[in-house]
Amino acid sequence: MNVLVVLTCILFILMTLVGGKKGAKSFLAIFFNFAVLLLIILLMNDPNLDPVILTFIACILISCITLFFINDVNSKTTIAFFSTLITIVILLFFIVVVNKMAMIQGFGEEEIEELSSYSLYIGIDFVKIGASVIIMSTIGAIVDVAISIASPMREIYLHNPAISRKTLFKAGVSIGKDILGTSANTLFFAFFGSYLGLLIWFKDLSYSFGEIVNSKIFNAEMITILWAGIGVSMNIPITAWITAYFLVKEK
Amino acid sequence: MKVICNKLTSLSRKQIALCTVLIICFLTTVIFVNYNYSFYKVPIAKVIETKLEGTTEKVDNFQNKDQVFTQRIKAEIKNGKEKGRLIDLTNEYSSSGAYDHELQAGDELFVSIDFDSDKEIHKELTGTIKEVKRDKYLLMMAWIFMFTLLLVGQKQGLFAIISLAVNAVLLSYALDVYIHTAGISLLVICSVGAVLFTVISLFLVNGFNEKTYAAIVATLLGTFLSLLITYLVMEVTSEKGLKYEEIQFITRPYQMVFMAGLFIGSLGAVMDVAITMSSSIFGVYEEHPGISVKALKKSGLDIGKDIMGTMTNILFFAYISGSIPMLVLYLKNGNPLGFTLSMSLSLELARALAGGIGIVLTIPIGLYTTIFFVKRKRARG
Repeated sequence: MNVLVVLTCILFILMTLVGGKKGAKSFLAIFFNFAVLLLIILLMNDPNLDPVILTFIACILISCITLFFINDVNSKTTIAFFSTLITIVILLFFIVVVNKMAMIQGFGEEEIEELSSYSLYIGIDFVKIGASVIIMSTIGAIVDVAISIASPMREIYLHNPAISRKTLFKAGVSIGKDILGTSANTLFFAFFGSYLGLLIWFKDLSYSFGEIVNSKIFNAEMITILWAGIGVSMNIPITAWITAYFLVKEK
Repeated sequence: MKVICNKLTSLSRKQIALCTVLIICFLTTVIFVNYNYSFYKVPIAKVIETKLEGTTEKVDNFQNKDQVFTQRIKAEIKNGKEKGRLIDLTNEYSSSGAYDHELQAGDELFVSIDFDSDKEIHKELTGTIKEVKRDKYLLMMAWIFMFTLLLVGQKQGLFAIISLAVNAVLLSYALDVYIHTAGISLLVICSVGAVLFTVISLFLVNGFNEKTYAAIVATLLGTFLSLLITYLVMEVTSEKGLKYEEIQFITRPYQMVFMAGLFIGSLGAVMDVAITMSSSIFGVYEEHPGISVKALKKSGLDIGKDIMGTMTNILFFAYISGSIPMLVLYLKNGNPLGFTLSMSLSLELARALAGGIGIVLTIPIGLYTTIFFVKRKRARG
């Protein structure tokens, strides 16, 4: 038996046991998302397609699956959907700029040895692939934050329909503040876990502090973590504003 | 303008003091990192001028087309014995840039100087590029990160930054202990670390109260249980399907590094689920103190169902996305899809699945622990 098959089965059984129909749906959503990710990676192999645009399309599909398939199409998921997309567009732009400046695209010298038998001149822009990696790592968290803010904001609005746009916006931001810490933590630990091998490697080979902070790999990983935090927190006022704007019709 | 003035006067003294300290820190570190050449032993050269010398079209064995450019670079040495002298460098880069970069005036590079070319003192030095100096970009990003979090999150943002910093230092210290202590298992170190991470992060994010205690208990039970399940599955299947060949940066037994990474990686997500469960169940209880345990269970389970999908998605994307460049490289080098996927995704998928199991398990665990704490609170009156 294959480890992955067994783990997938366990996850499926647990999700249906705990979550019932919604759990099964959530499990299916993971599958669909995986399919989208694979499709986009396959399309990235075409040098004529721009990886950044492909990433944006992937984000649209992934947000649709996560928001509209698991939940339903309603005002809160629609708002969360648009807030996610706006955040992604802003992020993508800045990520490409920073990636280009810091030259953190592609592979580091630590990785290059094992890739020596591969041709690296493959005609795909790795700066854009790098931006795609950062966005795709954070998309799950961004969607999560968007729906976690939009949904209680709608509750607040339904309970007092006379609320002003500004007050609702403030309430949204304060909800966002409460989830900021835990959402950021989720991503930090996920990245720490992935980079554990790299950290041990740096320590075992006694890299100096200067070598670590200038190495491509370390910079790429750290900048991904920092972008994840920035993306999640930027998403909070964006979602709060869009929700307040759409829900409260001011005369 | 008036709005800004009003905002400024409404700030308390403490806030103004904090802002001033922040701005001073920001300025000093930025100035330092831009002029820290003398702290490096390796010669650093700042690019003054670049000239494109030639372009070659490359077609590899798999019909991938690329262009390779050669740049002639004039740069100035910024530190060491040769400080102030000019150096002549060549840089080759491709339009894909998988392992090379186009350089521009202003970029700073670590170089090695060829000393045999230094016979005539007036002649320009020559040398080779070793690495790009990236510390200033990292610092800028760190500041942008901190300012965004503080601006949006204020107090909570500050706690998130502190939590990240403390956990990073703790992790680094734990790894030091692991490396310098013979015969200690990485898993033991990480288990002790996990307890500390959980306690510190949850207290920082949520304060000292019953909600936090319930979340800590649930997090620890959830992570250890999911680790146990993953371990058992790996034992039973004798790790069939996991391709350790492609695991990167390995100086230690790889199974151990993989398991420890899996453990730490799922911790954050499990914490998130645990704290969401406990705060919302406590919230319901505080709003309706007379609520029956059954009704409390139902509303807790509903919340759990709501967060299950998005939480598993977060972990899934955080893990899998890192493999995109490798997947593209593999595919472009003529590897079949099945081989590529199993080679470069098996470990990430296993990590994501194990994390997902942890998340889902923590929902009932969090539910029952919180109800236990609610009952205790109720009994006390």
